Amino acid sequence: MSSTESAAEAVTPAPDVDIDLTGRVKRLSESIARPALLACAVFSGAVVTLVIAYVFWYAIPVLLEQGWEFVSTGGWDISIDEAWTEPAVTFGALPLIAGTTLTTLGALLVSVALGLGCAIFIAELSPDAVRRPLEAVVQMLAGIPSVVFGLVGLSVVVPFLQGLVPADSYDVVTEVPLEGDSLLAGVIVLSFMILPFFVTVAVDALRAVPRSYTDGGLALGLSRWRSITRIQVPTAAPGLLAGAVLASARAIGEAIALSMVAGSIAFIPSLEWGLKYFPFMPARTMASAIVESGGEGMSIPLIQNAMFGLGALLLLASLSLSIIARVIVNWYGRRLSLDTGREL
Amino acid sequence: MKEHRSIVRTARPLSLVGPAFAWLAAGVVAAACVFIIVYIVKEGLSHVDWTFLSSDPDPSPASGEGGGVRIPIVGTAFLVFITTLLTFPIALGASVYLAEYMDERRPLTKAIRLGLEVLAGVPSAVFGMFGVAMFSHGIFTFMSSSGAEGSDVAFGRSFLVAGVVMAIHVLPFVIKAMEEAIRAVPVSYRQGAAALGVTKWRALQRVVLPAASPGIATGVILGMGLAAGDTAIVWLTLGGTMNMAVDAWWQLSSAVEVLRGTGSTLTTFIYFSSPAGEGNAPELAYAGAMVLLVLLVSLNAVATFLGRKPRSV
Amino acid sequence: MYASKEDAVTQKSPVRPTSEADEAAHLLAELDREMIRAARSLETGTLIDVRDLEVRYGSKVVLTDVGLDIPLRQITAFIGPSGCGKSTALRCFNRMNDEIRSFSMSGRIRIGGQDIMEPKVDVTELRRQVGMVFQHPNPFPMSIHENIALAIREHTPRISRDEVDHLVEWALTKANLWNEVKDDLKRSALALSGGQQQRLCIARALAVKPTVLMLDEPCASLDPISTARIEELLLELSGEYTIIIVTHNLAQARRISDDVAFFLMGRLLEFGEARRVFEDPLRRETADYVRGVYG
Repeated sequence: MSSTESAAEAVTPAPDVDIDLTGRVKRLSESIARPALLACAVFSGAVVTLVIAYVFWYAIPVLLEQGWEFVSTGGWDISIDEAWTEPAVTFGALPLIAGTTLTTLGALLVSVALGLGCAIFIAELSPDAVRRPLEAVVQMLAGIPSVVFGLVGLSVVVPFLQGLVPADSYDVVTEVPLEGDSLLAGVIVLSFMILPFFVTVAVDALRAVPRSYTDGGLALGLSRWRSITRIQVPTAAPGLLAGAVLASARAIGEAIALSMVAGSIAFIPSLEWGLKYFPFMPARTMASAIVESGGEGMSIPLIQNAMFGLGALLLLASLSLSIIARVIVNWYGRRLSLDTGREL
Repeated sequence: MKEHRSIVRTARPLSLVGPAFAWLAAGVVAAACVFIIVYIVKEGLSHVDWTFLSSDPDPSPASGEGGGVRIPIVGTAFLVFITTLLTFPIALGASVYLAEYMDERRPLTKAIRLGLEVLAGVPSAVFGMFGVAMFSHGIFTFMSSSGAEGSDVAFGRSFLVAGVVMAIHVLPFVIKAMEEAIRAVPVSYRQGAAALGVTKWRALQRVVLPAASPGIATGVILGMGLAAGDTAIVWLTLGGTMNMAVDAWWQLSSAVEVLRGTGSTLTTFIYFSSPAGEGNAPELAYAGAMVLLVLLVSLNAVATFLGRKPRSV
Repeated sequence: MYASKEDAVTQKSPVRPTSEADEAAHLLAELDREMIRAARSLETGTLIDVRDLEVRYGSKVVLTDVGLDIPLRQITAFIGPSGCGKSTALRCFNRMNDEIRSFSMSGRIRIGGQDIMEPKVDVTELRRQVGMVFQHPNPFPMSIHENIALAIREHTPRISRDEVDHLVEWALTKANLWNEVKDDLKRSALALSGGQQQRLCIARALAVKPTVLMLDEPCASLDPISTARIEELLLELSGEYTIIIVTHNLAQARRISDDVAFFLMGRLLEFGEARRVFEDPLRRETADYVRGVYG
């Protein structure tokens, strides 16, 4: 463009100013640092594919060989016993799947109900003097090791439930003994284990709801509680849902505490004897089965196969939950930023 | 029909049900946590004495002695140390990259984030199983003892194996905490440094990371707490034995043997001693649990202290 | 509207005459400034020339068709209502906009004849020579001494401790801060007052020997007394440095600037000698803004 050129010519050059903008200081560290940091990040993100690939590499032949029956039949405990001596055994993990599903769903129900109340309390209702210690308590609960949960459950919850087992259970349910260490004990202990994770996410989700929303409700004459439940909780719902999904991912993977309190018998709890007996039925989860039999059992090829089968199922479950949680959070983030007009 | 409503408050008892439930829920949660801690202290305190802390576990309950937690404490320390050593540099590098250099829209970034989320969701039992199987391959014999005679298989259980597997397990959590700490450093510091012509890497070294250091330390401690509190990985990859492979573990000359050998931590000691384990000595389990809780609470206290420290010079 | 605001500022500022002696001092100070201005106008020449500058964030055009010549060793003020693009223009000169992902620009910016967008230009060196001070004081969370030493060491890696100390003192003196902080250089910079922090940021920028000093609303978060001290400092510095200041405060622009660039909705509407722009603007929009019709 000629006009620009001529304009440029018209500039009076500044006297006695010597500008040199080419760098003089060599900065080698900069060019090394970046790839090194990238390598760390890529390694951290990729190491999970190693775990997944390894587990599936060994699990797929097992699952193919065992076929559909691996997930549709029972008899797990007997198969594991036989696997120590027999040359070939088929495994049926249905009781373990049932155990995992039931404990997870039960714990999720309790922890969401209790956790939502707790989260509303922390985010909205509590006076500062109560909130801080309570938040510390929730954090502490998250930090208590699962083996300690198991130990306390075994010493407190199990004996308590033992006293509630219907007296005639031996006559009615003949297949397994009904004891205090049961599905219900597992659900109770597991609820408190996953509760802090739900509460933490739920508090964040509730706090992320713009103040103006609930203020709008208050200005319309809604009571404080009504504007929380009618406006704040529904707006935060996707966040709460993501919290519940994350909490259930924890529950599915929990091994030690459940193996201590839930009875440790691979049994499909059934309603056929009536609701009265159901909570006291024993259960064993997939993760517990891995910890219980995977110690010495990993040296036995048959048991190792069975373990990899379980590992693959667990991985599939936790993988899908992670992805579901991510999808919810993404969608929620977009919606909230649309609503409030700000980037999150 | 005209309706007159007074603005004077009328009693509506139902409106109290909801808030009451929230108060109750919070109370239950707090009570549960307090109960667990008080219970462990109450049951464990009478058994925690110098003999308990300074003697080694006695896996055969027949002797009636029970034994102590010296080896488990040392084992926990070893495991936490190895885990931290492996996690810290990688987590710091990754979190700096994620917080400072990442373009969130790039597919690579999304893949790394997804990978970390999935990693955080993998159950520790699966990690443990993966660890034993993976490190039982012959090429990993250097990390543990050799397996059965004449076979090309490693034993697959040792402090090294447990440390590596534990590091993978805690990595995403530590990265997340560190990344948050780095992101919390005000943008104005970075801008100020950039406007002075300080390169990004140097600004990180000199300004951003020092400012984020309390949060980074909190991340490290979080990882230590996770490693100290996990049972499944330890139970599977450290072997179910209570004592170490070498009796004289404190000698420097036996360091390699100790690292390649099996052992126990406080968590496996508790599991083993609990009524659900083979040891079946609940009082030892409580005492062990109390020691573990004291350890974790002190770690948390350090983290809180570092977090509260004002960011000055 | 603006006139009254200006009054408000001068009323609070220490230079307002309260007695005859004060009035005499005030007149002398005024005379002083006039002399500095007169002396400076003898030196003519352009340090920064901008041609056809257009800046976009994503698809949004925030600056278009900007061309101006910023004179050497004078104070140039960028004025205009919020969002008019004046800060964006400023941040082009040291390429701070590079940090923003959606940023793109066309046109040419030359400093001392060197096109700053050329690949051979080292951005860190550019930023050393074109110092910048931000709206909110942003000292690093370290000692006063370290705040300045950090920048010095960055650009002169093998500098001795004595030389660093010397430069720190020089920069703090230059920024009129030395007397206030010389006894506790080890103190955290965050413990300083807002005005002191801002002068520390100026000292930090001066310590690396820049040619240009850019300030993005440096007094926006300061009280009138601190503001007056910064203005005084800038007038002193303008003999040696080319200063560009973005300001919302028209009174401030009147008090200290030699040239004024008026931006409105992403365009440079008027650029010229300060007195002329304020007293006899060429465009109606400028006149409206100066009168306080909008902004």
